[in-house]
Amino acid sequence: MAKPEPRLLVKGKPPSPLDRELSIIGKEIDRADALEKTTGEAEYTGDIKLPHMLYAKCLRSPYAHARIKRIDPARAEALPGVRAIIHKDNCPGWRTYWYLIPQAAFPEFVSYVGQEVAAVAADDLDTAQKALELIEVEYEPLPFLLDADQAVKPDAIFVHPLDEADPTCRRAPSAPPVGNIYNGAPDIFRRGDLERGFAEADVIVEETYTTSFQYHATLQTRCAIADWNGQVLTVFDSGQGVWNAKLNLSKSLGLPLDQVRVITKNMGGGFGSKAAAQRYAHYAAKLAMLAGCPVRLELTRPEEFISHPHRFSAKKWLKIGAKKDGVLTAVQGKGLVNLGVGSTYGNQGVKLAEHPFALYECPNAYVEVYGVYTNSQLTGYMRSVMRVMSNFFLESHMERLAAALNMDPLTLRLRNYTLWGDQQKKIPYSAKNLDRCMHLVCEAIGWPRRKELTESNRRTHIKRGIGMASYIYDGTGADPYDANADVVIRNDGSVELLAGVVEIGGGQSTILPMIVAEELGVNFDRVRINYGDTEGTKYAPGTHSSRLTAEMGPAVLQAAAEARQKLFTVASLMLDARADDLRSENDMIYVKNDPSRRIPFEQACEALGPGGQVQGSGSRAPNPSNIVLRTFGAQAAEVEIDVETGNVQVLRVASAHELGKALNPKLCVSQHHSGIIMGLGYALLEDPAFDSKTGSLLNPDLHQYRMPTSLETPEIIAYNVEAEDPYFAYSAKAIGEATMVATPAAIRNAIYHAAGIWLNSLPMTRDRVLEALYPR
Amino acid sequence: MSSNKRSRQTSSRVLKGSPSLHRPPKLKHTISLDVNGKVHSVEVEQRWTLAEVLREELRLTGTKVGCNRAECGVCTVSMDDTPVFSCTMLAVEAEGRRIETIESLSGPQGLHPLQDAFIKFDAVQCGFCTPAILMSLKVLLDFNPSPSKEDVKRAIEGIYCRCGAYPNIIEAALNAASVQRSCAGHGQTRAPTSR
Repeated sequence: MAKPEPRLLVKGKPPSPLDRELSIIGKEIDRADALEKTTGEAEYTGDIKLPHMLYAKCLRSPYAHARIKRIDPARAEALPGVRAIIHKDNCPGWRTYWYLIPQAAFPEFVSYVGQEVAAVAADDLDTAQKALELIEVEYEPLPFLLDADQAVKPDAIFVHPLDEADPTCRRAPSAPPVGNIYNGAPDIFRRGDLERGFAEADVIVEETYTTSFQYHATLQTRCAIADWNGQVLTVFDSGQGVWNAKLNLSKSLGLPLDQVRVITKNMGGGFGSKAAAQRYAHYAAKLAMLAGCPVRLELTRPEEFISHPHRFSAKKWLKIGAKKDGVLTAVQGKGLVNLGVGSTYGNQGVKLAEHPFALYECPNAYVEVYGVYTNSQLTGYMRSVMRVMSNFFLESHMERLAAALNMDPLTLRLRNYTLWGDQQKKIPYSAKNLDRCMHLVCEAIGWPRRKELTESNRRTHIKRGIGMASYIYDGTGADPYDANADVVIRNDGSVELLAGVVEIGGGQSTILPMIVAEELGVNFDRVRINYGDTEGTKYAPGTHSSRLTAEMGPAVLQAAAEARQKLFTVASLMLDARADDLRSENDMIYVKNDPSRRIPFEQACEALGPGGQVQGSGSRAPNPSNIVLRTFGAQAAEVEIDVETGNVQVLRVASAHELGKALNPKLCVSQHHSGIIMGLGYALLEDPAFDSKTGSLLNPDLHQYRMPTSLETPEIIAYNVEAEDPYFAYSAKAIGEATMVATPAAIRNAIYHAAGIWLNSLPMTRDRVLEALYPR
Repeated sequence: MSSNKRSRQTSSRVLKGSPSLHRPPKLKHTISLDVNGKVHSVEVEQRWTLAEVLREELRLTGTKVGCNRAECGVCTVSMDDTPVFSCTMLAVEAEGRRIETIESLSGPQGLHPLQDAFIKFDAVQCGFCTPAILMSLKVLLDFNPSPSKEDVKRAIEGIYCRCGAYPNIIEAALNAASVQRSCAGHGQTRAPTSR
C-alpha cells in the first residue's frame, strides 16, 4: 500500500512518523500548573512588586463624545510624589497599537465615557488618584451615538473612531470609514441566484434578531508592570499573547524588538479581551520610561467594564426559503455590527456570515455585513466572538422554519446537511461529523421526550422544553500562520520546550509538553516548558480564537520529532542499529524489531557529552486552499420556565464537539463546561445597560452585571467527538471557544418548545420572557 | 513638556525601595494579626482592608482581589472558621481573630484533600478564584463532613468563577469530603473545629 502524502501543516521537512501506538496523547494527565494554582503560589501580574515601583492611574473622559479644548496638568505636577504625567500635549502623535491596529494614545477627540485623557505615575496609588483630581481639562461636549442603527445613517454625526486605517495591517481598517461604516462598505458573500431561490420556495420565513454586548469580566483586573532599565523594556503583562504584545509595544514606543520583553506567567481569565497589548500596558510603559522607575498600572473593576474591549453587539435580518420537504432554496441575511469606537473587526465579518452562508446546503445565498462605529466603548474579541451571535441568528431561524414547515427541527437540520466547505467551488471539509454530534446530543438529552413534555406542560405553570442547535467553528489556525517552537534535550536527560505562548487556563502549558513527551517517548514529568515569556522563545500566536492547539501543535510536534531523530542518531551507535529503526517509549529507546535491545533515554542523553544537547525546531505552515478546515458541534438543552415569573432554569445541556483529537480529554471536558456556562450567561443573564442621556454604562459592576454562579450551573453531558484530520498534530484542532457557540440558540429553542414563545433578542432576561408571554 | 523634564529630575531609584499601595499611614495603628497560625505585628491605617494588608504587607498574595467591593468573592479567606470577603473587612477589625488563607491549606502532611481533588478533577482553570473557592469549601467541610451537592453550590455561590469550572469544582468538593471522611475514620486528619 502506498504511503499517504504527509499533510501535517509544517514548514520544511515533515517529521518522521512515530510509528507506534500513542502512549501520552489522549491520557487524562493532571494540569501541570494545577499544584501552584491550588496552593496560592501561582504568581499573577498583580502579585508582583518591583523595587522602587510607582503606581499609575488613568484620567478618563466623563463624556461620550467631546473635544478636549485644554488640558493643564500643572497642579497635579506640583503634587509631591507625582513622578510622571502623560497627556495629549506632551505625547503628540503617539499611538498605541492593538494587534498592530494604530490608535491615537491621547487624541483630541474623546469618543466614549471612560476613554483615557491622561495617565499619572506616582509614589503610591493615593497620590496618583489625588493627582488625577488636580488635572484640569476643558471639554467641548459633542452629540454622540450609541446605536449602530443610527450611526449607519448617511446623515449621522461622525463618532470619531479610535482605529486608524492601515492597509498593511490585516486587522486594521484598510481605508478610513465612510460615515461611520467600517471600510466604507459592507462585507458581501454570495452564490447562486437569490431571486430564483425564493421563487422556488414553498415557505419563506423572515425575522430580525439582536444581541447585546457581553463583557468578559475576567476576575483578574488588567494589570501591567513596566520596567525600563535604559536598554530593555520589560513588561509584566496580563495579556493572552506575549509576542503580540511585544510587537505592539515595540512599534508604539519605537524600540527595536530585542529591546522589548513581555512576560505573562499566569493570567486570571482572558476570554479574548486580552488578545494583545492594550492601551493600559502602553501607558505603563511610557510612564516607566519617563519616570525611570518601574510603573504598575492596574485597572479597577469599574474601569475594567468601561475600558476593556467587550463583545460586539449585532443585529441581523434573516430570510430563508425552503421547499415543503425542508430543502433550503435561498438564504438571505443582512447584519449590522456595533463596533463601538474601535475593534479588532478586520477579519470578523466573514465569521458573522459563515453560519447562514455555509452551515447548511443551499444553492442560493447572499449575506452582507456592515461594521458600524458608535460611541459605545471599545469592542473586540470574545470567546467565539461573531460565531455565537451568528449561530443564535441562524439556529433560531431554522427553528422558526421547522415550525413553519411543521417539521422536526433535527430532521430539518439533517436534511440540509452538507459536506462541502465551499459549496460553490465544491471544496470539501477535511473532516466533518456534525451529524454524529447532532445524534449524540439529541440522544443524551432525550429528544423523543419532546412530545410527552408538550403534553405534560399543559397542566402546569412550570414548563419544560428541549431544544438544540448545531454549529460550525474554525479553530484550525489563522493568518499570519506564524507559530514556532523549539525542543532541547540536554545531556542530563532533561527536556525543555520553548514556546512563546500564554497559559490562559485552557491547559496550554500541559498539552504542549504532552506532545513533546509523546514524540520523545519520555514520561510527561520529564518535559519542562518555558512559556509566557518572549525571552528565549520565538514568535507564537496569542492564546485566543482557540488557535493554540491547531497552530502550535504541528510546530511542537515537528520540533520534538526533529530532536528525537537527532538523539536517535546518537543512540543508534550505542544500539548498533539504524537511527530509522529506533523507537522510544516510557523513557526507553529500543530497536523496533527487537525491543529487547534497549537503553534508557537518559543513557542516550549522557552520550551527548558534558554540556551537550540536541535541539529540534518546528514551524507551522499556512492552511492549504484546496480544502476547508473547520470544527463542528451540536448542543441540546433542557430548560424549565416558570410562566408566572419568567424565570428560566437550564437543567441540562448535552454538548458534542468534533475536535479531531482530544489531546487530554479531561481538559477538553472542562472546556465544554466553560463554554456552556459562559453561553448561559450570555443567553439569560448578562445585560449591560447604557444611559441614553450620558452614554455611560450603568452597571459596571459584578452585582448588576450578573454572570452565572454555581447556582445556575446545569448538569452538563460532554462528548469529545474524534475524527481523523491529517493536517493537525494527532488530528487535534480546537475546542475552547467553540463550546459556547450553540448554547444561546439551544436554550432559546428549548424555551420555545416549553412555552411557545419566540425570543429573538439576547439576553433572554425575565423581562423579555414575560413580555413575550404576555404582550402588551 | 514640563512634566517630562520634571519627572526626569525628580525620579531616582533611591526614592522608594519598598513600594506601597498607600501613602505611609498618618494615624498609625499597630495591630496584631493572627494569620495562618502566626501572629504578625503590622502597622496600618484604619482604612486599610484585610486583603490589602494580607497582600501588600504580609505578601500573602494567594488571596486575590477582583473588585475590592464584595462583588466577586475572589478575596475570600477564613476568619474564625467563617468565610469572609477580605476586601471589605478592615484590617483593624480582624485583630484578635483567627485568619486562614490559602497559604495554610496544605500542611506538613501534604495537600488538603480539597487540593488533591481540585487537581484530579480539573477544577482549576485560570486559577484566579481557586484560593477563594478552596477556603470557602474548607470551612464547609470542617463543619459539614457530608455535604450534599446543593450544600456545595451554596457554599461557593458568592464567588464567581468566570472560567465556569463549577461542575468540576462541585465534583471535586464532594470527592474531597468523602476522602476526608474515610481518612477521619482512620484518625488521619484534624477533627473539624467546633464553633
